[in-house]
Amino acid sequence: MAEVRVENVSRSFGAHKALDDVSIAFPDGGFYALLGPSGSGKTTLLRQIAGFDFPDSGRIVIDGKGVERVPVEKRRIGMVFQNYALFPNMSVTDNVAFGLSVRGVSRAEIAGEVQRALDLVQLGGLGERRPHQLSGGQRQRVALARAIVIRPQVLLLDEPLSALDKALRVDMQVELKRIQREVGITTIFVTHDQEEALTMSDRIGILREGRLVQEGSPEEIYDHPVSEFAATFLGDANILRGEATETGIRLGDGTEIATRLNSMVRMTGKVSCAVRPERITILPASAAASTTGNRLAGRVSKRIFAGDSSTYFVERDGQTIKVLVQNAGQIPFDEGQDIVLTWSPESTVLIRT
Amino acid sequence: MTSAQAARKGIRPALPLLAPAYLWLTVAIFLPLSAMAFFSFMTDLPMAGREWSLTLKNYAAFFSTSLYLTLLWSSLRLGLEVTAWCLVIGFPAAYVLAKVLKGRAREAIFLLVILPFWSNGLVRIFSWAMVLREGGILDTALNAVLPFTVSIDLMYSYPAVIIGLVHSYVPYMVLTCYLTLQAIDDSLIEAARSLGASRRQVLRRLILPLAMPGIVAGAVLIFVPVVGSFMEPRILGGRTGTFYGTVIEDQFVAVFNWPLGAALSFILLAVVLLILAASAPILRRAQQ
Amino acid sequence: MKLTGWLEGVGRFYVGLLLAFLYLPIVIMALMSFNASPFYQLPFEWTTHWYSDLSRNNQLLTATLNSLRIAVMTTVIATILGTAASIALYRYDFRGKRILQVLLFPPIAIPWLITGTAMLIFFYGIGIGRGLHAILLGHVALALPYVIVVVSARLQTFAPELEEAARSLGASQWQVTRRVTLPWIMPGVIAGALFAFAVSFDQFVVSYFLATPGQGTLPVEIYAAIRKGFTPEINAVSTIIIVVSMGLMLVTARFFKFGGDR
Repeated sequence: MAEVRVENVSRSFGAHKALDDVSIAFPDGGFYALLGPSGSGKTTLLRQIAGFDFPDSGRIVIDGKGVERVPVEKRRIGMVFQNYALFPNMSVTDNVAFGLSVRGVSRAEIAGEVQRALDLVQLGGLGERRPHQLSGGQRQRVALARAIVIRPQVLLLDEPLSALDKALRVDMQVELKRIQREVGITTIFVTHDQEEALTMSDRIGILREGRLVQEGSPEEIYDHPVSEFAATFLGDANILRGEATETGIRLGDGTEIATRLNSMVRMTGKVSCAVRPERITILPASAAASTTGNRLAGRVSKRIFAGDSSTYFVERDGQTIKVLVQNAGQIPFDEGQDIVLTWSPESTVLIRT
Repeated sequence: MTSAQAARKGIRPALPLLAPAYLWLTVAIFLPLSAMAFFSFMTDLPMAGREWSLTLKNYAAFFSTSLYLTLLWSSLRLGLEVTAWCLVIGFPAAYVLAKVLKGRAREAIFLLVILPFWSNGLVRIFSWAMVLREGGILDTALNAVLPFTVSIDLMYSYPAVIIGLVHSYVPYMVLTCYLTLQAIDDSLIEAARSLGASRRQVLRRLILPLAMPGIVAGAVLIFVPVVGSFMEPRILGGRTGTFYGTVIEDQFVAVFNWPLGAALSFILLAVVLLILAASAPILRRAQQ
Repeated sequence: MKLTGWLEGVGRFYVGLLLAFLYLPIVIMALMSFNASPFYQLPFEWTTHWYSDLSRNNQLLTATLNSLRIAVMTTVIATILGTAASIALYRYDFRGKRILQVLLFPPIAIPWLITGTAMLIFFYGIGIGRGLHAILLGHVALALPYVIVVVSARLQTFAPELEEAARSLGASQWQVTRRVTLPWIMPGVIAGALFAFAVSFDQFVVSYFLATPGQGTLPVEIYAAIRKGFTPEINAVSTIIIVVSMGLMLVTARFFKFGGDR
């Protein structure tokens, strides 16, 4: 187990800057998700940490030692690949044993370690199978067992769940988290799936075009996005633009919106604010006067029913605002109906544009 | 992640693995070809006790008499005729294989067509001698069936050379045409038919253009070696079987005029390279 | 175009005719090698006389032995060198890689007549001379591109992540190659080896120019014998060759086809 630090790492491929001065500290024993759209540099960063590729500049420190020029086979990392990369010519047992056997560990010791690893991923009885005889979820577990049996200092996961179908993916999220806790290993997890990042990790780093945009705990990032990109990439958000005021923001039509009191320096000039769709309440136009907090009048343009919830699209001053409403038996609003949207200033995050 | 990123850069780590193979190819292929180019400008073998100097006389010999040009032309014609026959015979067979036969039957017959190609060419040419000679199998069989007596003696004739060469090379054409025809989606053909195209129009305007890379590849693979053939004309052509290739053979094993042989070989190489270069654009299109 | 009804029948019949054209001379030659008449006269009378003659023909036996020895050595050398080169071409990216790949085609595309005479001139000029060693030198060069093309084709189906996974587990370059890469490409290597054997064992043109009198390979001796005149002994030895080389290719086809899918 070890702390991993990436310090000012840059890497270019030709003219393309895949990583641009990225610095992240991955805490010891933590589960860290690198989140970003494709091309954001998250996989490149993972491969730098693994040692498949070396940074042009910057340092990579694992357990206090700079390893940025150490090739992958000399670093003590465990990696789970997107397509698992199980060796097709070997049984499950031989796959898991591979890392130990290339290190010259004795046969008896290997057998014990492999059995323990397979038990940990609950595949104890399938050691003789070949990879092609396994289901997707089982392959996933074998890949995980193979990576952790060598007791790596850090576990690297490259979109490990993307090849699984939805139901299995949720199971594996829980399972992966359990195993990670049990082993207590520093884990770095690359994903483009925001839900996965939110549910599994202790910390999230959002990457965009080779730069770290924001990092923090899932709650922090969700509740305090620092940019429109962070707000809309992690979860859904309505963005309202205007001028900064003493208490929040003044929209184009003069409406004042109060925002959460921010510890950040006071902003001036053009700013925007983000409001999550589930934080907004819809009221009939007649009931509007009785509310406190932020208030905007609008007209329902569309309602999409999704079983447990409904999404309303509300038109107001040329902008569409999304509102998520839990279906708890209330009478739905009609399309074309005039309504009022209200939400608390606490749910409004001011963002620099 | 692109594979280019995954691959490791620089030739140095690759050298120990690459060098033996490419050194061998250099010594046994590339240096000999260069040496032959050089040698074709010499008066005599550069060996102890022999005077030699650089000269153009070997190439002058090629152009001064009409003999070599005529022979080169007849070899080129032979190449064209054999290629044409292979196309006429091979393409329909490839079509049937690709679009009519299915499953294991297709696999088995495809293998059967390709198989002779990998057996010894010399022996197969020789087997035709058994069939074609007077009093041979073809002669005997025809006379047994026909009510009147005919004498079939194709041996030592131009048609015999053609038959032998077509037999040797037609699998190439079947193979290359099959590969491109098989890649044509049946729904394209059905679409053309639904738009009112007749079978003939579908063939001419859709299938042939799409199969063109395969046809060209097959044609090159056949034409090039046939132009340089010498063993087949020798065995099946007898005295009529004098071609460009047999003359080169003579320079090296009978007349021992190596410089002239080298010049003749080199001219043939130039012709071959020209053909390969001319067909390259079509073949490259096929890779996309 | 789906050929319907009778057209399909015509198609099948046509392919049958083509197969007859391809196999008839070979079958006839094989039959004649068991016919008693030295002048291929019918009616057919069964004999194995020509095969027993063959077994006493020292010249052809020596030539057969030469052919086999050269084919085996060619196979071993070309397979090892070719596989190594294929792995390098697959694994590494460098300037000029494209050129190295294109350079594989001259040995395949240039007529053997040209390659053979060029080798003769060069080997003679630098003192390698003619003989079995020169033939071996030439055969390996002819077989190498085939091995590299076949093994490379197999490597195309290999996922680079497998090598990366092995390295991430601490395997050295050699351990990765021996335990992950080689087992995967083995069907391709075997197919390449069989190709190399076939290229060498069937090779006539290059051997012909590089052979010294009395020290030839089997095809060279057969050619000499044919030019002297037809004898049923040639039928017999030709039949053996054709059965061996076709059998070999059948095995190759099996490896290449069925080995390639897993």
